[in-house]
Amino acid sequence: MRKKIIKVNINGEWHELAVSLHDRLIDTLREQCGLTGTKEGCGEGECGACTVNLNGKAFLACLLLSVQVDGAQILTIEGLQNGLDLHPLQRAFLSESAVQCGYCTPGMIMAGHALIQQNPDPDEAAVKQSLSNNLCRCTGYEKPVKAVLKAAVEIKGKADE
Amino acid sequence: MPHQYDLKTYSKPENMQQAVELLSKSGNSARVIAGGTDILPRRQGTVKFGNIKNLIDISEVGLNYIKKSKNDIRIGAATDINTIATEVLFNSNPYQALIEAALAHSTHTIRNQATIGGNLCNASPCADLALPLLALSASLVIKGVKREYSVTADSFFKGPGCTILLPDEILKEIIIPLPGENSGTSFIKLRRHQTDVDMAIVNVATSLSLNGNNCMNAVIALGAVGPTPFLAGKSAAVLSGRDLNEKWIEKAAVTAAGETAPINDSRATAEYRREMVSVLVRNSLEKSLQRSRR
Repeated sequence: MRKKIIKVNINGEWHELAVSLHDRLIDTLREQCGLTGTKEGCGEGECGACTVNLNGKAFLACLLLSVQVDGAQILTIEGLQNGLDLHPLQRAFLSESAVQCGYCTPGMIMAGHALIQQNPDPDEAAVKQSLSNNLCRCTGYEKPVKAVLKAAVEIKGKADE
Repeated sequence: MPHQYDLKTYSKPENMQQAVELLSKSGNSARVIAGGTDILPRRQGTVKFGNIKNLIDISEVGLNYIKKSKNDIRIGAATDINTIATEVLFNSNPYQALIEAALAHSTHTIRNQATIGGNLCNASPCADLALPLLALSASLVIKGVKREYSVTADSFFKGPGCTILLPDEILKEIIIPLPGENSGTSFIKLRRHQTDVDMAIVNVATSLSLNGNNCMNAVIALGAVGPTPFLAGKSAAVLSGRDLNEKWIEKAAVTAAGETAPINDSRATAEYRREMVSVLVRNSLEKSLQRSRR
């Protein structure tokens, strides 16, 4: 098995990892780093359950080889909360009841997070576009969209204080 | 996890010369990637690229740019599709087809990774970005070990998944000539609506340049209705030199359907595709006409 050493910053900490050439980022995150918050749904780039942030943008961890992200900053759902304090996006998904079975939720939140990083004042259309790669098979999209909008307002409010 | 490749090497060259030299040494077992979105999503059991042993990642050879000069706009082949969709240089009537195609390509998340060069080099018959580039009469710069040359976008595609690139060649950049005054373009993609991620049943881009109401130049590009994206020359010829009105646009739309060779597949029947070519060409020409008058 051919291995390659990569250096990546995951949730604020730099790691040196020996990865196989065919490992996808989702394999490395889940199996090597134990970060199982990132889910694998389809493995083909359609469902978005594996969405993470790579250098601030939303990427699908099932469409990236781990060797491709050498040197990158990666943020997963585990990196959002601060100690016991949930991130405003996590709180908004709870308060809006935007979670049913929860499988798609980490991906939705990470897609929302990348959006708010790039556009602190998104409108509904922008949120829908950003979540367009995230499928929910339980219930729907109205509440996740509302939750992202709510979190954006809270985050912007804090930044303006 | 079940992996589909037995990769021997992965290289990230620092410049184009290194990249083409690596490629020329690796022969048919090498594949160039930039975003890499098209090599991983393979359903179990399908081995489209079963012989890939060496990956050459060109994401850091300096091909991520959009530059305007006196005569043209140049896009580096490894520029991601969201960057194109949000580029202010393209935010005017002559380039609307490019913006529309970029926004119609896959999803917002995948567009952070997928590149314009990858979309062209994969040579899908329904490649969204190919159509506006055909309509805008773009040319493509190709680099090999010993030479660099350019071809028209029209001559780049040879068949499904097949381009004119030789084993040691890499697509370097896309050159879009500056448009004349009073020109407008548009792109329309027909797909099943359940998901953004789906490919086109039919996609169409058109470009019109006017002098008053007289059509100086018309280009009509069609996707998913032949082995490659292609120019519908007869249809465009219907419009050239005419004072444009509904009648000529309808005639061009009907002519375009006659130039197609669609297939039946899981997305649509050939017959439906042919019908839709007329509808889409008409709608796209009407939009391009409006835009070229502004």
